[in-house]
Amino acid sequence: MDITRRDFTKIGCKIIISAASGTAIVQSMFTKGIAAENPPENGGYDWEKHFWGYVVDTRKCIGCGRCANACKMENKVPFDEEVYRTWIERYRVKKTINETFEEEVVIDSPDGGIEGFVDDIPAEEVKKAFYVPKICNHCDNAPCVQVCPVGATYETKDGVVLVDYEYCIGCRYCIQGCPYGARYFNTEKGTADKCTWCYHRITKGLLPACVQACPTGARKFGDLKDNKSEVKKIMDEERITLLKPDLGTKPKVFYIGLDREVK
Amino acid sequence: MQPHLKRAFTILALIIIAFIFVRSLVVPESFGQYGWYRGDSVKEIRNLTVNYRGSASCGEENCHENIYTVWAKDRHKTVNCETCHGPAQKHVLDAREPLMPANDSRDYCGKCHFKRISRPEAFPQIDPGAHGEDLRCVYCHNPHKPWFD
Repeated sequence: MDITRRDFTKIGCKIIISAASGTAIVQSMFTKGIAAENPPENGGYDWEKHFWGYVVDTRKCIGCGRCANACKMENKVPFDEEVYRTWIERYRVKKTINETFEEEVVIDSPDGGIEGFVDDIPAEEVKKAFYVPKICNHCDNAPCVQVCPVGATYETKDGVVLVDYEYCIGCRYCIQGCPYGARYFNTEKGTADKCTWCYHRITKGLLPACVQACPTGARKFGDLKDNKSEVKKIMDEERITLLKPDLGTKPKVFYIGLDREVK
Repeated sequence: MQPHLKRAFTILALIIIAFIFVRSLVVPESFGQYGWYRGDSVKEIRNLTVNYRGSASCGEENCHENIYTVWAKDRHKTVNCETCHGPAQKHVLDAREPLMPANDSRDYCGKCHFKRISRPEAFPQIDPGAHGEDLRCVYCHNPHKPWFD
């Protein structure tokens, strides 16, 4: 070996110092992501203990639009714009049958159903008709969260997909990315916006505004981690469907009584 | 070490230091606290104002106990107070804050009870042309106790 003891010590010290300082720099950049696992403090609510789920029983919906109305009032969604965090769709399957037995389906949602629906097709021509309330599915594998370029939308530990209104740059990519059309652009805030399952209410022990407003119990909200909750019970006992399950988005809005036309 | 390599490494080191410095200025304090997002925004959204308070608080503290008991026993108990009376959080916090007057028009009752083909058949519905002669529904039916005994 042609290395002297002096050189060996020099190189050794350099390696140790640079390794130590390098780790310190890297840690200072990323520790926040690794270390802090404590949920945000707020009135004793612990987001590790909940995982929220939503059930829509389409057989009970009467299309009164009180949910969509309450949602706009609670969340200050502009009434004069055609944007909705939740809305009701009406499906009418007509009696006309051609050779291939294809059904003619009329789907509409005038003003999100807020003002209710008027029968504009005579009853004799309609085979079957029903309402389908729609809302953000708060997907466990949400495309909107994936496509956000700045990290302004995310899923909380208790399973709610939220938008950071301070951090959103308003690029609208998430609106394009959502396969359910559940997002809209909030012109007042200049950001993307969506249903929060009334996160400010559920963390205080209240129900989302739409669930509270529903007079027939077509909308149900509850904790999937709580075995006694109504939603968990329905999940265990009823036959439920998801919207577009083939996309692998893992929605957390579960439907009862969906027809094949509903996508 | 050769001088041109030394220069290159110095420039690289400066670039890294500048990146770390700029990053610490631009990225918000709480970013990455819980995941790839700003942790503080969770708190901001939790602290948004509540407008609908829920029916339970109407019957509390002997405020509207009488009407509450009537309503809670009858078939309209599934209709929340605020569905007709409007959001009441302000009124619950301060009783002097007036509520919006309840909507008692015929059309408002009709939002649920006018005959529509898309509604479940078992749901109570009326043919608006044949029933009630365009009178306000509340003229005969008490909205808190809508069924005749």
